[in-house]
Amino acid sequence: MEKERYFQAEAEGEQPETKTEEATAAITQLGQTNVPQMELDTNIHCLTIVGQIEGHIQLPPQNKATKYEHVIPQIVAIEQNPKIEGLLVILNTVGGDVEAGLAIAEMLASLSKPTVSIVLGGGHSIGVPIAVSCDHSFITETATMTIHPIRLTGLVIGVPQTFEYLDKMQERVVRFVTKHSKISEEKFKELMFSKGNLTRDIGTNVVGPDAVRYGLIDEVGGVSQAMAKLRELIEMKKSGEGKIVQ
Amino acid sequence: MILYTMMPEYLVFPTDRAAYEKQKLVYYDGIPFLVQATETGEYEIVQNLSTNPYHFLEAKYAPGARFPASAATS
Repeated sequence: MEKERYFQAEAEGEQPETKTEEATAAITQLGQTNVPQMELDTNIHCLTIVGQIEGHIQLPPQNKATKYEHVIPQIVAIEQNPKIEGLLVILNTVGGDVEAGLAIAEMLASLSKPTVSIVLGGGHSIGVPIAVSCDHSFITETATMTIHPIRLTGLVIGVPQTFEYLDKMQERVVRFVTKHSKISEEKFKELMFSKGNLTRDIGTNVVGPDAVRYGLIDEVGGVSQAMAKLRELIEMKKSGEGKIVQ
Repeated sequence: MILYTMMPEYLVFPTDRAAYEKQKLVYYDGIPFLVQATETGEYEIVQNLSTNPYHFLEAKYAPGARFPASAATS
């Protein structure tokens, strides 16, 4: 009996200590002591496309990168899971590999579930096709998108390619963007080849409201508008009111 | 130093091979994570790769949290 009490007292004595330890661990990791707890089930998933879009060459670990071998299986899982009804795509990317970016964009465009994209900060270069691939796209007021011709080392699939090959590759990007947004091919190419906007380069840096004006992005807005739109698209799909108009 | 070349920096100065081996993708509780091994036989979370936003609210899935290497599945 005595012994038991002793153990109990010991256990009680230890408890506060472990609690503080946990709290300090939380502070060092997150800068806060507790995180809101919720049930782990949601009908809307979110996919973040951040940093560089990694292609065939693995980027060193200090780079922040979106790897397509991570993203593509997730898109497949989202398509497969009946509990997931919508997808929110969050972009803050500098661009990267053309083929990997187009692969992600095509996967998103062919997803049967409602998708909404939101460009925060930047959706540059190959981030543009990803942003327009969703059913509805948003851009925040301060976010920018750089539109420029594809630039490469000339090395594609390991060997130097001809100018025609690169031109065709660029044509794929232009065709995808014009097909999935309201921008005309002439306007997109005009932005792509305009001079004097970027330092020692051709292209245009399009800021939020301008992207909407050119028809590249559907609306200027933040997370609440994006979520509201996504819920609306989900409702529309549920009630089967016609097809989602791009 | 300014290098006048159109070759990207990572082709001019390739990163040490060992740097790539530091991080890897593992599944823990069915959630994909980018992790880094620690000296204590644990994995430290570098990035949570889940698309479920609620997985980001759990402290044990946050970047910097550790879990035993034996708990990871690939």
